[in-house]
Amino acid sequence: MSYPAKLSAIIELFSGLPDAEKRETLIAYADQAKSQEPREGESFDLEDVRKDEECTDTVAIYLRLDEQGGAHFRISLGPQVQTLTRAMSSILCKGLEGISPADILEIPADFVPKIVGAELVRLRSQTVYYLLTRIKSVSKVWLQRQRNETQDNNG
Amino acid sequence: MSIDSNYAHPDALVTTSWMADHLKDPGIRIIESNEDILLYDMGHVPGAVHIDWQRDLQDHTIRDYIQPEAFAALCSKNGITPETTCIFYGDKSNWWSCYALWVFRLFGHEKVKIMDGGRDKWIEEGRPLTREVPHYEKTAYPVPSKRRDAEIRAFYDDALAQSRGKLPLIDVRSPGEFKGLVTHMPEYPQEGVLRGGHIPGAHGIPWKQAVNNDATFKTAEELRKIYQTDLGLKPDDQIIAYCRIGERSSHTWFVLNYLLGFDKVRNYDGSWTEWGNRVGAPIEKSL
Repeated sequence: MSYPAKLSAIIELFSGLPDAEKRETLIAYADQAKSQEPREGESFDLEDVRKDEECTDTVAIYLRLDEQGGAHFRISLGPQVQTLTRAMSSILCKGLEGISPADILEIPADFVPKIVGAELVRLRSQTVYYLLTRIKSVSKVWLQRQRNETQDNNG
Repeated sequence: MSIDSNYAHPDALVTTSWMADHLKDPGIRIIESNEDILLYDMGHVPGAVHIDWQRDLQDHTIRDYIQPEAFAALCSKNGITPETTCIFYGDKSNWWSCYALWVFRLFGHEKVKIMDGGRDKWIEEGRPLTREVPHYEKTAYPVPSKRRDAEIRAFYDDALAQSRGKLPLIDVRSPGEFKGLVTHMPEYPQEGVLRGGHIPGAHGIPWKQAVNNDATFKTAEELRKIYQTDLGLKPDDQIIAYCRIGERSSHTWFVLNYLLGFDKVRNYDGSWTEWGNRVGAPIEKSL
């Protein structure tokens, strides 16, 4: 599957950057991680909050579905979560906005090194992959619940 | 809070408050070393330079540390001379700052200290961070004549001899790793090895026992109880510490060497990622 349009645009932005600017851009995305946290009054269709072994701190994923079935994520991260993972939370919240949960499951993880760059994907920075796994996990649970509800209604 | 004067070398530590008052002292260089590769860029102690454990200290083509020429170049680039007092601090309770300090000692750099409590304590106390990267005038750091591997670093054969000779081996990993219940650190499942367990005869003393909740080191009395009274180590024992890749054991090496004054301690940096995967290496489990 090709990447969703918004994610593709982010990948394209990073692909053209030299390493130093890539790093600066990741810092800028990490700075925005706080703005991806749930806001006062927002409600969600699914919440997955847990202290995560891979990220060494709490990682909370919140999913809201719009009327067209598009997914919107909010993510909150504990203070010990790595900077790269913070950057990835902003990138994924923006890049996957409005995509259906079924399509999210099909997104390959091979875009991560394209964004982060080979220098930064290394020992002890692998958690950068993990948020996508958690987002897929939430999407999968939501899809399963939908299927169960449909079966219950039909039964 | 002050540094416990009962440590063997209390001058090996500085407090965050001392650091805040001496940011611009001539003759010191503040060095941040982290696990989180972008953390320095997010803000650091004013005037601090960044030394990265992988990029700056390791030679990945042969799984080893850099050679003396590269170390001299690294110091020169950061405005360090052999007389400079290097004060290290970082994330993860100072794992990587102890690791960087240990590598500096491998090259014989004498004047080294740790900022007690590390980066987290500095931030917790509301002290300033900056994103401004300092530039120091390049120095002419002389190329060290050798790397002191034989003195403070252990290799596989050394650890094997230690095990066979029933000499002190300290495994500083988590209890689950030591027992062989898991083949990776709880937080790092991607760093798996083929076999779980520990080097035969090793004592499991997790690094964390040496620190308080705020990442500062425990008092000399508390440390003596852990390593001397309870474990039975003596200051002139030949000791090898190991973990998974050598950073947590650098922390314990610092404690034993600088805070308790044990002067025959070596860090086995090959650690469990070598031992647990090595063909023919004996292991012990305690399930």
